[in-house]
Amino acid sequence: MPDQAPVSPASRSRGPGGRRGAPGRRRGPAGLGPLPWIAPAVLLIFAVVIWPIVELIRTSFLNISIAGVVRGSAGFDKYSKLFDDSSFAGVLIWTVVWTLVVVSATMLISLALAQLFNQRFPGRRIARWALIAPWAASVLMTAVGFKWMLNQTAGVLNTLMLDLGLIDHSKDWLGTPGTAWPWMMVVAVFVSLPFTTYTLLAGLQTIPEDVYEAARIDGAGSWQTYTGITLPMLRPAFLVGVVINLINVFNSFPIIWAMTRGGPGSDTATTTVFMFQLKETDIAESAAMSVVNFGMVVVLVLVFLKVSGWNKEEDA
Amino acid sequence: MNRRVAVTGATALAMALGLTACGGDSGGGSDENTLKLVAADYGDKASNASKKYWNAVAKDFEKQNKDLKVEVDVINWNEIDSKVKTMIQSGNVPDILQTGGYADKVADDLLYKADEVLSPKTRKNFIQTFAKAGEVDGDQYGIPFVSSTRNLFYNKEIFEKAGIKEPPKTWDEVADAAKKIKSSGAADTPYALPLGPEEAQGETMMWELGNGGTYTDASGKYTLDAKANVETFTWLRKNLVEPGLTYSNPASTDRKTAFADFAAGKAGMLNGHPTLIDMAKDGKVDYGVAPIPGKNGPLKSTLGVADWMMAFKDNGKQEQIKKFLDFAFSKKNMLKFDEMYNLMPVTKDTLAEMESSGKHKDLEPFFEALPNAKFYPLGDPAWDVVSAEIKKSGGNAIKENPAKVLGELQKKAEDAAANK
Repeated sequence: MPDQAPVSPASRSRGPGGRRGAPGRRRGPAGLGPLPWIAPAVLLIFAVVIWPIVELIRTSFLNISIAGVVRGSAGFDKYSKLFDDSSFAGVLIWTVVWTLVVVSATMLISLALAQLFNQRFPGRRIARWALIAPWAASVLMTAVGFKWMLNQTAGVLNTLMLDLGLIDHSKDWLGTPGTAWPWMMVVAVFVSLPFTTYTLLAGLQTIPEDVYEAARIDGAGSWQTYTGITLPMLRPAFLVGVVINLINVFNSFPIIWAMTRGGPGSDTATTTVFMFQLKETDIAESAAMSVVNFGMVVVLVLVFLKVSGWNKEEDA
Repeated sequence: MNRRVAVTGATALAMALGLTACGGDSGGGSDENTLKLVAADYGDKASNASKKYWNAVAKDFEKQNKDLKVEVDVINWNEIDSKVKTMIQSGNVPDILQTGGYADKVADDLLYKADEVLSPKTRKNFIQTFAKAGEVDGDQYGIPFVSSTRNLFYNKEIFEKAGIKEPPKTWDEVADAAKKIKSSGAADTPYALPLGPEEAQGETMMWELGNGGTYTDASGKYTLDAKANVETFTWLRKNLVEPGLTYSNPASTDRKTAFADFAAGKAGMLNGHPTLIDMAKDGKVDYGVAPIPGKNGPLKSTLGVADWMMAFKDNGKQEQIKKFLDFAFSKKNMLKFDEMYNLMPVTKDTLAEMESSGKHKDLEPFFEALPNAKFYPLGDPAWDVVSAEIKKSGGNAIKENPAKVLGELQKKAEDAAANK
């Protein structure tokens, strides 16, 4: 990510202009224009972004034996095998549900948290620091932690609920999709909160105080102020939060892998987890799943940018 | 100044990328006097890591064969399949590999036949059932390395509390014993049934054998959804799962959970292999061992599992490999490995030694089951795919419509068989 940032301004502001006038007047290294500056980033993008994608697409059209030997081209066989898989439809539906539920819950809760942290109250600094904890801890560790808390025989949650009389016998929370999905969503929201809250908090802090003052003078109520001023002015930060969360949650792997491995069967798998399960039986089919996954992320982002009028907002 | 930084940065980057690109193909098999051995790690702690064993074998071997060197690479079970796959894909093939399956490599014509890399003396020393299980279409490629057989383990204390006098012999007796354990409250899990991905293919086969079912028919065609197999799962659901006599979600419970529960005295009975003996002893569980119950009587031939050694012909080191394998399969080395992990031998002289030495009384019921053990269809190149599919979704046969789940598996197995 940080490598891409310098590229766009450089190429936009100097690239075309510099090149037009360059050939006649400049020689030597100077004639290269901005190339030396952007070359490392371009190289890096090629090496770590473009090349793997090309390789991925190529693999999805190969016939690879389970021992790892390439046996020639498979055409679209691996794609039809993937689409024919009885788990595929369920996996897709759950991926959408998972993404929507986790992202909306994260955004709503973060909005409230950011609002809270934007107020002055004693101990605010400590509270803000505390929020970083789930972010600082590795996602995998958090997921494993929750997995043990939810364990049927040794889990603290079962013990607690039994003692409180909420359930009459300990439950295998992660053993069936019906209870495993909600718990994994809780964990996913939990680990997404810090980043989102801080993004929104930063957004809140850029709203100038005098706008609120003007609203107060005009006699606006607090709800009116919130919907009329805070929310619209928070829009850029909110969009950043939504886009990054969408991609993160859609691609989320460690939580599900650590807690259920997508099982039983593929009943708790999203497309990313399903891709990993397919790796055990057919690496090319797994690559086909990856390509589909990649396509969905691209579409998701494009649709979202279109709907939200992202560019308009940024240029303004 | 800035430009210099950028250029230096670019150069460093290019170098870094170049280095990563080269990272894959170091240590290839160019030196014909160096054997590359890749093996699985059977240890569960630093003190019994298989690396120790193989390093010692390699050292002894090098002492006897001054001109040869052995490079040992021990990989843990979770990663060995994918790492070997990568080695094959990148052309960096090992000379000798010790792991779980071999037939998929035969399909791609990667292996030497067993008689090409073993002396006749070593070859004759293998227990016949295992040598046979190493065959693909009549030729032996897989060289058995260690084995285990499965039996029913039961907790004597729990059985006593529940008033059960004898270990169950039939399925009905299993259900009956489990009911007694449940009603007396002697254990949380009367019968531990692990159908999770770790070893769904094993637990499934042990139950299916009890109803006269198997994975393949006599001609080697898959019969995963045969009537007997559907019946087996229907029985399990009705008589163990629904009355709450086993885990509530067997399809997501792994063998290691079941073993740990038994070793902690929380499970009444389960199917297990010799590793559980040590675990039960560590947990101070007074256990008994009996043949696995079948529908109408105990299994006459139980599930046998073997791990395999194989030699790759890619680097053409036939003679050197032969020397090493003859050395590795000597009684001294095999005995050391089997005793190190409480596993069972695959060679006649080691078996005779272990049976007569008196040190392995607890393994006796497992030795008895050896000659009649039934195996997975190991010689079928498609088996590795089929096994992976059963691991992934076979357990679901216990909660949904078993005919549907097994039918889908059967379809996948047929596809894999057509594709080998």
